[in-house]
Amino acid sequence: MSGISYSEILKLVAPEMLVSLAALAVLAIDLLVMREAPQRYRFWTGAAFAGLGCGLAIAWLLAMNPPPHSMSAGLSLLQGTYADDVLVRLVKVALLVMTLFTLAISMESNFTDHIGEYLALILLATVGMMFLVSSENLLMVFISLELTSLSLYILTAFNKRNVESAEAALKYFLFGGMSAAFTLFGLSLVYGLAGSIQFSEIYSKLHAAKIDTLLLAAIVMTVIGFGFKIAAVPFHLWAPDAYQGAPTPSAAFIASGSKVASFFIFAKLMMQAFAGAEGNGAWRHFTPGWLPVVATVAACSMLLGNLAAIVQGNVKRLLAYSAIAHAGYALLGLLSNSQQGMSSLIYYIVTYGLTVLGAFGVVAIVEERTGDASISSFAGLGRRQPLLGLCMMVFMLSLAGIPPLAGFFGKFYLFTAAIGAGKDMGMLWLVIFAIAMSAVSLYYYLQVLKQIYVVPAVEDSRPIVVPVSSRIILSLLALVVVVLGCAPELLLGRLITAIKLASHQ
Amino acid sequence: MVPLYYYLIFSALLFSVGLAGALTRRNAILVLIGIELMLNAANLNFIAFWRYSPDPEALTGMMFVIFSIAVAAAEAAVGLALIIAIYRHYRTVDLTKVDSLKG
Amino acid sequence: MFENLAWLILFLPLLSVAAITLFTRSKPRASAQISIFAVIAAFVLSLIVFVFFRGSETNSLPQASVPWLWVGDFKADIGLRLDALSLGMMLIVTGVGSLIHIYSWGYMKDDPGFARYFASLSLFTFSMLGIVMADNFLMMFIFWELVGISSYLLIGFWYEKASAADACKKAFLTNRIGDFGFLLGILMVWAVLGSLNFQDLEIRLVPHMKDYAPVATAAGLLIFCGAMGKSAQFPLHVWLPDAMEGPTPVSALIHAATMVAAGVYMLCRVFFLLNVPGSHALEVIAWIGGFTALLAALIAVQQNDIKRILAYSTLSQLGYMVMSVGMSGPTAAMYHLTTHAFFKALLFLGAGSVIYAMHHEQNIWRMGALKKKAPATYWTFMVGTLALSGVWPLSGFYSKDSILAQALETNHIALFVLGVFVALLTTFYMFRLVFVVFFGGARSEAADHAHESPDVMTWPLRILAVMSIIGGVMGIEGLYTKQFAPNAEGHAAGFGQQLLAPFSHSPLAAYLGLFAVIMGLGAAYALYSRSLFDPLPEKLGWLSRAMRNRFYFDELYERVIIPFTQEALAKFANAIDRWIISGFMVRGASGTTDLVGRALRLLQTGSLQTYAFLLVAGVALVLYLVLLR
Repeated sequence: MSGISYSEILKLVAPEMLVSLAALAVLAIDLLVMREAPQRYRFWTGAAFAGLGCGLAIAWLLAMNPPPHSMSAGLSLLQGTYADDVLVRLVKVALLVMTLFTLAISMESNFTDHIGEYLALILLATVGMMFLVSSENLLMVFISLELTSLSLYILTAFNKRNVESAEAALKYFLFGGMSAAFTLFGLSLVYGLAGSIQFSEIYSKLHAAKIDTLLLAAIVMTVIGFGFKIAAVPFHLWAPDAYQGAPTPSAAFIASGSKVASFFIFAKLMMQAFAGAEGNGAWRHFTPGWLPVVATVAACSMLLGNLAAIVQGNVKRLLAYSAIAHAGYALLGLLSNSQQGMSSLIYYIVTYGLTVLGAFGVVAIVEERTGDASISSFAGLGRRQPLLGLCMMVFMLSLAGIPPLAGFFGKFYLFTAAIGAGKDMGMLWLVIFAIAMSAVSLYYYLQVLKQIYVVPAVEDSRPIVVPVSSRIILSLLALVVVVLGCAPELLLGRLITAIKLASHQ
Repeated sequence: MVPLYYYLIFSALLFSVGLAGALTRRNAILVLIGIELMLNAANLNFIAFWRYSPDPEALTGMMFVIFSIAVAAAEAAVGLALIIAIYRHYRTVDLTKVDSLKG
Repeated sequence: MFENLAWLILFLPLLSVAAITLFTRSKPRASAQISIFAVIAAFVLSLIVFVFFRGSETNSLPQASVPWLWVGDFKADIGLRLDALSLGMMLIVTGVGSLIHIYSWGYMKDDPGFARYFASLSLFTFSMLGIVMADNFLMMFIFWELVGISSYLLIGFWYEKASAADACKKAFLTNRIGDFGFLLGILMVWAVLGSLNFQDLEIRLVPHMKDYAPVATAAGLLIFCGAMGKSAQFPLHVWLPDAMEGPTPVSALIHAATMVAAGVYMLCRVFFLLNVPGSHALEVIAWIGGFTALLAALIAVQQNDIKRILAYSTLSQLGYMVMSVGMSGPTAAMYHLTTHAFFKALLFLGAGSVIYAMHHEQNIWRMGALKKKAPATYWTFMVGTLALSGVWPLSGFYSKDSILAQALETNHIALFVLGVFVALLTTFYMFRLVFVVFFGGARSEAADHAHESPDVMTWPLRILAVMSIIGGVMGIEGLYTKQFAPNAEGHAAGFGQQLLAPFSHSPLAAYLGLFAVIMGLGAAYALYSRSLFDPLPEKLGWLSRAMRNRFYFDELYERVIIPFTQEALAKFANAIDRWIISGFMVRGASGTTDLVGRALRLLQTGSLQTYAFLLVAGVALVLYLVLLR
């Protein structure tokens, strides 16, 4: 703790500072200067400043590599309240990129007049996520989790003209509040058992101890809060309603950035702090620990998410159920409980986040032009706006896990990680289940594509006009999905190196 | 001195009361109060564990509680704002009536 | 240098796709020229590599691979494997592909989607070459799926037709079921042997035999699932006949000569993983192949659509090949695959020519007397029929004979008898087709006014006809023998000896095979040489009805196995749904996925109280699972 001056701390948290400052700047400029300007103009200015902040933060994160303390690969100060290593930086860059895309897809929307507040809240949520991924301390986890969640609740409620938006937000909020209460209770038990709130100390206290009932209860209760954030069954019930009711860019942000950060810290907490309390998740060989808990949650998520998605008629709701299913797949990476598992988890969830951002981007445009996001309003999109149709096809097929898109490789790598984990392919049952379920999932993605390419547009079959900026952004996302599928090394190589470095500290 | 587990049992009871309130009340504000009770139960745990820990000088539990009280206040602010938004549209805060999103 | 040439072969078609989609989308003729040029160039290059390979004394050319992803234990390359197996397949894909590309120029002339058609065709060629040349499982699987997608695009080429849209969906979904097993099989092999590269696997198999043997049956069957989907083996065969909704040249290329052969090719490629002592996978494979061959041949006897007859015939021949792999005879399987590619492509293109001449009429009972109207089509079709039936000395005779001989050698007497019977049926339904279409009197106005197709369509037919005739004596078998049994002495001596080899090598198989042909031909002649309508239904009664309705497999699928894939059945499910809600909620749990989905939907009541309650219930359940058990 000693020996670090405030200036050095400020230097470390500079990315977060930059984003916070950008949030304040956007708010101030919009309220003070741009009040009277036309809405579109305000959005562009605000987003430019917000983007500038994120861009600077990204530049800082990349330029300051390797961390200033080159003695050890990573750094963790003030009892783990702020950890910094290559891996954390990589995840932060991914988060910031997703924020940038979220800003980009919100630019053409007109659901609100409070543009400054909207953009500032997106940035504040990002700050929360950034702190979340660099915490190795329960207190910091809790605070940043709440900062993220509170911003997202408000973002969900942002369409004040729409009843559904308010309803979605209230459900999201009350459900989230309850999960947070469970988690806080769980954390208090962990603190009581370990006498510390720092990951490494929790590990050193707990890994030798026998797994008793209280510890298990603590773990289960802790899992709830994260299960809520990643929308895993049975903590998923808010997700379909929130996705459907929320303004589409907000939903996109909930589905992408927030998921990446929560998954990362969830995995870190389980693998670092609770290492030694894993138990066994092999079929018919459950022994108490967090593995069986997560395995059950994963299996339920895949099952419920995929089956319920089949009968959905609203694309946002369909994407919500598909998100639940994807949370189930991604949990396989956590279940592998290894470095490969961690890398596969991050790769999967980052590519998933980018894909789903693109999908929501398309939904946002279609919703804007046709008035709702039901599957039938996508009819004839392939002819009305070929580029949009093509992008949506890439996103849908990637979500379904069709090679050579990123979604396929992500799944494949997850499955290899899971099948190689533990003794005697203990996770084989879950992998079989996951592959079967992803075969089922193809059906509902094809339903959307069928509307786009086969079914003719009902009444209005005029071409949809899409601004050049949106076209560029969506094409860019589609391109990223293709490139990351064809050359996963680009991201995965860095991840692996980072994880290796981070584990040596 | 009162043994530690008295506090733990008390906090568990408090948590259950809060949970029961959150589950059974139809009024959104009362549900919110239930959630606050649950949070306070956790806070009580922290204080108790801190007080009985071998090293109370470290102030960890205390600090946690102070932060969590602040967070709970922020949460209440957001929650009440959302409840007002609901009231504007529905003219009620009865949760059973707020169910247009489903399926 | 030849490795680099191989890369060029693989990427030429992809370049053509890129060029067409980016630059010449609105210029149909230029697009077609690019695509045709790419595939012909690929063929010529393959030929050069092949000649070089024959000249070298090695079993395979050096592998050219680029590291793609190396992380921890997980290594995946993009690599090409060039040996007899892949080079032979490359020649088929690019050679037959070239002819079909050229033929399409004439067949698709007036179609508005001309450019799109050629782009899809090139994409298909690229992905198919990828499967063939892949040197590891992962790359193969990726191209495997790409082939699925390009075939999806081509089957659904006329997507305005509802039947085409349904057919492509069915093909895609059925294939996914197979791929589910395939992926699992690959993962299993990876978990046990720790590699995905075929050559590595072959080397590692020996020291790791102890670990692999217990899972060999399971892994082998899972991998076979993939072949079952692509090569349309029972019970995943239902998609192939429906795939005939695509343009006819597509049926010839994808659903006769190349793609459907991918499954057989893959089984031969990983034959060493199947042929493991203690594994029963091969036994199962042989029987599924045999059953498919029989079933499809029976169905073909009572079909009336010219393309469907050929589709079922393809199914049946694929069954033959799979059966041969199952009887430890990959050489015979690949041999038959090669000759089959020639004559089945010929038959499909011939059928296309007939359909073109008849102005898109496909019912054979509305044709007749086309022998005089379209002589080139007739003669080439006849050659194809004779080759498929297995008439000496055409190519089909030799390859079919080597499969039958394989059955005798490995003591699969039942399968041998089945094979001979299928050969009889094959001759029967093929000559039924020939007699009805080309002989007798014209049965409709269109048949009266039929005309021969243009040269651009008949020349590919002639070339394929020549190949079908001489395919048996070109030394194809020797090529594959070199791959699978490098130590066996080559019995390809003089030309005359080669011509008569089957009769001395396994006389029983050869004579019985010929006998079956004669029987089938005689029966077909007696029944169909002059008839105006089909006399068989009366004689067979319900059996004929069952055959005509394809033994009700489609109905079975639609009603029971994959109901949720069909729009119409969604309504059916909806009806049950209502029935359940009105009082039988609990019993409905045994329903289909769709029903489960609908039931799960009921949980999402929209009321927050329910959500909270379910959350707590979920927590309680999880706690119970980990604590109290």
